Amino acid sequence: MFYFEDVVVGEPLETPALTLTEAHVVGYAGLTGEWEPRSTDEVASHRSEGGGRAVPDLLPICLSSGLGWRAPQPPLAILAFMGFEWTFALPLRLGDTIRSRSRTVAKRSMKDGGVVVEEREILNQRGEVVQSGRLTLLVAKRARK
Amino acid sequence: MAGEERRYFDEIQVGEEYLSPGRTVTEADIVIFAGLSGDYNVLHTDAEFMKTSIFGERIAHGLLGLAIQSGLLTRGMRPFATIAFLGLRWKFKGPIKIGDTITVRAKVLEKRDTAKPDRGIITLQRQVLNQKGEVVQEGETDVMVERRPR
Repeated sequence: MFYFEDVVVGEPLETPALTLTEAHVVGYAGLTGEWEPRSTDEVASHRSEGGGRAVPDLLPICLSSGLGWRAPQPPLAILAFMGFEWTFALPLRLGDTIRSRSRTVAKRSMKDGGVVVEEREILNQRGEVVQSGRLTLLVAKRARK
Repeated sequence: MAGEERRYFDEIQVGEEYLSPGRTVTEADIVIFAGLSGDYNVLHTDAEFMKTSIFGERIAHGLLGLAIQSGLLTRGMRPFATIAFLGLRWKFKGPIKIGDTITVRAKVLEKRDTAKPDRGIITLQRQVLNQKGEVVQEGETDVMVERRPR
């Protein structure tokens, strides 16, 4: 585990990549009940710019939190996800491959744990930033011996 | 819904409110979300460890709550003629536990013109409430919506 004390401001972290498949989109739609035509209606999706089913906008950030667990660093001892601000810059389609890049921009010690502010970008296979934003996390401190 | 008419920017009024049906968040939701996202944090997957935590039990992933509310609200309003989801500002204020029933309350906060005359930006304020009426998540979402074609 990576505790509050171990977090270094400015140090970049890059995750492995993941290809977005039809299974992700269908599984996500079923779980959330969000059946947007642009991501679940093949015929309607071809009438829009770009064409073809789009990946639901909130799915990549969900996947990036899982990718974070596979990064070459022990996982962060997160006590709570406090909030985030997020921008959607470019659409993703079935078959696109994403990875996430992040770095801590601020940390603040509190009585129990500390607050860590992280900047995160999700990139596609061409290296374009498709989504990005800033996350605020409450992270545990190392237990005192 | 088949043939459900999408609402254009022009028709949507600031101050309009929407309320979703309720939805009980189950253990299955959390297990499926962990599998889909790959986020197996002990907060969501280790019942024994979580007995010793401040929550006393497993809690839903914050992003699962966000994703569920997004789908849930589509059952409480007619869809907008959305071109793109632009961004959001979101706060996770309290845990969603297994068996909690959530509803979404939303309100049109702001309408803004854009450089292009065929579209506008709408900001929705959203609150996710549990069965006790506590706000467990809240925030604002910005979407780009088509104007009625001339």
